[in-house]
Amino acid sequence: MSELFVGKSFPRADAEKVTGKAAYINDIKVPRMLYGKILYSTRPHARIKNIDTSAAEKLHGVRAVLTGRNTPNVRVGFLGDQEPLKKDKVRQFRDEVAAVAAIDEDIAEEATSLIKVEYEDLPPVFDPIEAMKDDAPLVHEFDARGKPRRNNILPLPWKLIAGDVNKGREQSAHIVKDTFRTTWVHQVCMGASGCIAQFDVNNNLVFTSVTNVPFGGKDRLDMFLRNIGLKSSTRILTPFVGGSFGSKLDTDIYEFIAVLLAWETKCPVKILFDRHEEFTASPPRQPAIATVEQGCDKDGHLTFRKVDMILDNGAYTSWGATTPSVMSIPVSTLYKVRNIHFEATCVYTNNIYAQAMRGYGNPQATYVVEQSMDQLAEAAGIDPLDFRLINANEPYTESPMRIKITTCPLKECLQEVKTRIDWENKHGKRDGRGVGVASFLHVGGGARVYLSDGQGIIMKVNDEGKLTIITGGTDQGQGSETIIRQMAAEASGLRYEDISIVLGDTEICPWDVGTHASRHLFMVGNAILMCAEKIRAKIRDLGARWMRSIIEADLNKKARRDPDFKAPQIDWSVLENPDNLDVCNGEIFVRDDPENPFLRMKIARVVRKAHLLGTGRGEMVTAEAFYDPPNEMIDREGKGNISCCYTFGTHGVEVEVDKETGQLRILNYVAAHDVGRAINPMLVKGQIYGAAIMGTGYGLTEEMLLNAGRVMNPNLLDYKLLTAKDKVPIDAVIVEPIEPSGPFGAKGIGEPACVPSAPAIANAVYDAIGVRIKELPITPERVLAALKQKEEEGV
Amino acid sequence: MRTFEYLKPASVNKALALLDLYGDQAKLIAGGTDVMVQWKKRIISPQVLISLRNLAELSFIKFGGGLEIGAGTTHRALELSPEIREHFPVIHDAVSNLGSVQVRNSGTIGGNICNAAPSADTAPPLLVLDTNVRIASTKGERTVAIRDFFRGPSRTVLQTGELVTLFSIPAPLPRTGMAYSKHTRRKAMDLPIVGVAVLLSFEEDLKTCRKAAIALGVAAPTPMRAANAEAFLAGKPVDKTTLLEAGKIASEEASPRTTIRGSAWYRKEIIRVLVRRTGLICMERAKGAARS
Amino acid sequence: MKLTIGFSVNGDSVEVEVLPHWNLLKVLRDVLELTGAKQGCGEGECGACTVLVNGAPVNSCIYPVLEVEGKEVTTIEGLMDKSGRLHPIQQAFLEKAGVQCGFCTPGMIMSAFALLKANPDPTEDEIRHAIAGNMCRCTGYVQIVESVQHAAAVMSGRSQERAGKE
Repeated sequence: MSELFVGKSFPRADAEKVTGKAAYINDIKVPRMLYGKILYSTRPHARIKNIDTSAAEKLHGVRAVLTGRNTPNVRVGFLGDQEPLKKDKVRQFRDEVAAVAAIDEDIAEEATSLIKVEYEDLPPVFDPIEAMKDDAPLVHEFDARGKPRRNNILPLPWKLIAGDVNKGREQSAHIVKDTFRTTWVHQVCMGASGCIAQFDVNNNLVFTSVTNVPFGGKDRLDMFLRNIGLKSSTRILTPFVGGSFGSKLDTDIYEFIAVLLAWETKCPVKILFDRHEEFTASPPRQPAIATVEQGCDKDGHLTFRKVDMILDNGAYTSWGATTPSVMSIPVSTLYKVRNIHFEATCVYTNNIYAQAMRGYGNPQATYVVEQSMDQLAEAAGIDPLDFRLINANEPYTESPMRIKITTCPLKECLQEVKTRIDWENKHGKRDGRGVGVASFLHVGGGARVYLSDGQGIIMKVNDEGKLTIITGGTDQGQGSETIIRQMAAEASGLRYEDISIVLGDTEICPWDVGTHASRHLFMVGNAILMCAEKIRAKIRDLGARWMRSIIEADLNKKARRDPDFKAPQIDWSVLENPDNLDVCNGEIFVRDDPENPFLRMKIARVVRKAHLLGTGRGEMVTAEAFYDPPNEMIDREGKGNISCCYTFGTHGVEVEVDKETGQLRILNYVAAHDVGRAINPMLVKGQIYGAAIMGTGYGLTEEMLLNAGRVMNPNLLDYKLLTAKDKVPIDAVIVEPIEPSGPFGAKGIGEPACVPSAPAIANAVYDAIGVRIKELPITPERVLAALKQKEEEGV
Repeated sequence: MRTFEYLKPASVNKALALLDLYGDQAKLIAGGTDVMVQWKKRIISPQVLISLRNLAELSFIKFGGGLEIGAGTTHRALELSPEIREHFPVIHDAVSNLGSVQVRNSGTIGGNICNAAPSADTAPPLLVLDTNVRIASTKGERTVAIRDFFRGPSRTVLQTGELVTLFSIPAPLPRTGMAYSKHTRRKAMDLPIVGVAVLLSFEEDLKTCRKAAIALGVAAPTPMRAANAEAFLAGKPVDKTTLLEAGKIASEEASPRTTIRGSAWYRKEIIRVLVRRTGLICMERAKGAARS
Repeated sequence: MKLTIGFSVNGDSVEVEVLPHWNLLKVLRDVLELTGAKQGCGEGECGACTVLVNGAPVNSCIYPVLEVEGKEVTTIEGLMDKSGRLHPIQQAFLEKAGVQCGFCTPGMIMSAFALLKANPDPTEDEIRHAIAGNMCRCTGYVQIVESVQHAAAVMSGRSQERAGKE
């Protein structure tokens, strides 16, 4: 049977959002709620000599003033390298030194300004390379266990070695080596961070959160409660969320502080970041210094790839430090190369620390690999697009990282770009206009970063024939409400408009790893398929048992009302076997006789019959499923098939460079994406457009400017998000190989369209003017400076 | 609590009386797009805000060869004025790309000028138009040429008790072209890295420069006129070569700073380029006007 | 010391007590509980707080509340008709996926609403000019522009003709 719901561009099921009714964390108030405000450090590296909170405490309306000195000393974070409120030492400007809860925001703010902190400055270190030196100031004197630290290098030795790079070097006809730098960029969710913490009568924490990892967040908060001496647990509620892009993956420090304030005051406490705070005190994507060396033989086949990364970790550790686990995927597997050496070193500095951001390290890694690919193609005298075609990954192959590639239309994506960007005519002109290309691969079928990569789901059908889906996932804008309905209607046989979704409450919803790693559609889709199968079976089973009596009652009724009515001859035996029945679009019917009006009825009638049986043996229609995919965690060597499938794609960009000002104009942008099967093509395109513009911002305009550890542009005027007027003419091309492991053939597509933009632009700039910009963002000033330098060198 | 008294006088005279009464404790607020942000950021904390919004006597565009603009006229009103678009396109260029529609619906030209940011988009156009700034106080009125109006970043010639009521712009000479170019990192919601306004009046041959006016934003502590570049062009045939030279001279006259928004060297480069390019737009516009 | 002011919101007259330093957004959200307009930056940079004052879109986060006295304010909550039917612009944002996380959406729709009132058949450039002050991190604006185009077509009865072209 052809599909009724999947593959179609259903409108967004988001009426709350267009009417202003959707309640975000900003919009939620609870009775007796207090407002929490945090005082941050004014020094990048200093000992705290004294904190005087007396004036703040006296202010009318203040309910609590907390510091590291009157709260339990509890370590939090991935490496346990910080406490929510810093007691003895600050290590960055965003260090939380004190926190206030007050009856309104103004009072809370005023109270923080009354807190006096005495510091004794320590020598800071801001450059990760400086910080790696033996005589560099130690950002942390001790590790989480109290062991003295010798240097600023994190105990996370990311390393992936496969084949033999030296042998690869020997086999090479051409070798290139270069160093590239990327900088801090911020997720800049339009809805800033916030939470409400409150304790119920049993001292359980009810935590309204913007997280996209409700159960992971619950684990972290539960541990925190235990560590502050409470035996209770956490219930997480997630309201509408104003974007995430990785920023809501970890439990952030302000969240622990809200818990402390709520426990101290025994009142609900809300902390809501303002935009300045969002920029200065929420962790962004970290900068990388990457040296990449690659070689190829005389035919252009890659022989080896060696990448060394130094990551500025900032003062503490969040998920940013684990992004090399994803970087290793493009480093090892983007194009066919057998000999791989990848190392990443995370270094403590007195800068702000880093978190996850869309792509999770992939944008940085692909930025360097794909520029190096262009350099190598040039060294080998091969057209860069052809060079990529020569080395493109093939379906059903295994990479040196033990990535098992399934469907892989990378060559099709490259060809789409080649045709649509008019590569043959436009490449290689050096006349101020140029074209560039970059590809990517990214996890598309989950990512086993924990022991489970699972998602639970519960379905129930009520006696109006409506299906309620209860899932542990979250929606941060990607469109779960729409695609869950489409897939569930398809899989369950219930009507699209009869499906409702419950999410956002860890007490009700089944366990889920989290809505991250582009995994949501893949996981929820497979869970829906498993669960819906059970629902269908149950409905068919009920049909086999009760359809006959319902039909007979109907016929009798008709006969009573209409003496002329002649009941049809019905072969009741066909109804006795559930296998003869099918459900579709809210109705149950005989599979081989679907048009027979007498043998067809609304599912609601069967379910209602089962509920209202009158015998004491009634039943209901519910089912649950837990989909935990067959992917692997990476092993100690950094290898393993982390995802069930991988999504590929290629972006091609045509730019025009104003040689006098260095300004770029994007004339054409083709984004060809392997999405497996597009469950909702319009929503898929929405992800591609949005991510490609975010990637273009990464390439051209976005950067957090840090000066001696301080964010200099913590506002939307000087942090340059692209506006609607900065039009990038994007042609989003969907390539649809049906992925066997994916629900209805689909792969995840939430992150990766932001990955290849920056290198494609950098490559296009090189094609246009013969200058390679090795730093992000590619600002007009950098382009002009590079052009001038080239002129001076007379190249 | 940190707050202020917000007064809404019904006339300019009443506003002036309030200014006298409160002196330095008061700050004028027009559209509030700068003042409200500065207050929130604790850059200013006046005890009294005296609002000029809704004063009809400050909000008008009077066209009659020359141009009179009430200081309380919003950027949006200027943007939508067909007369300004046709006869004073240099103003249209500046206001139609200042902030957003939302900002332009509130923000006023008087506020933009009196805030005296080096990056004020309306300053270079008013500078090349030889605008006279009418200033009122309870003691009477005075008029200051706009080139004498700015005293430094966020500083003007305004004394306590004074407010700007009117920008008076003389009729341009015949065969005049004028334009404003703004160099930015993105196409909206941005301040200029450099802003350049050029006005060129031609002799009857539509080639020889009768009068040149060049004004630069973000090129010095205040918006400035590039007098040497203007003097160079006067009397010369205007073409790519002379404009290139004028750009170089203007760039040398400028003394921009390095900030997070741009380096001094880059700003100088852009001034050089934009003076030439904006000059070429002026030529086109002058020719277009002469044809029509 | 609070002051009482009166103005109209979505056609209803309201009287509220305010402090002089409050902005319009605060009063709409905290006093009138119209939480559709959002605070995205508080500095007039992002447009999430966009509402109409006397028909003109403004950043309500920096609009002094005392200035709204006697004026007409329109917010996203005022766009649905009395029977609760979505305004064609709201409907278009669903049909063309002009909404993702939804945080910028109320402000975005108000800017589009003001645009289409003044210019029922805008070009793409005119749409982009009109919404340039509304930042969106999710969509890259492409489907927002398409939503506004679609709404314009529906509102002026050109939807059939447009649909034929697609």
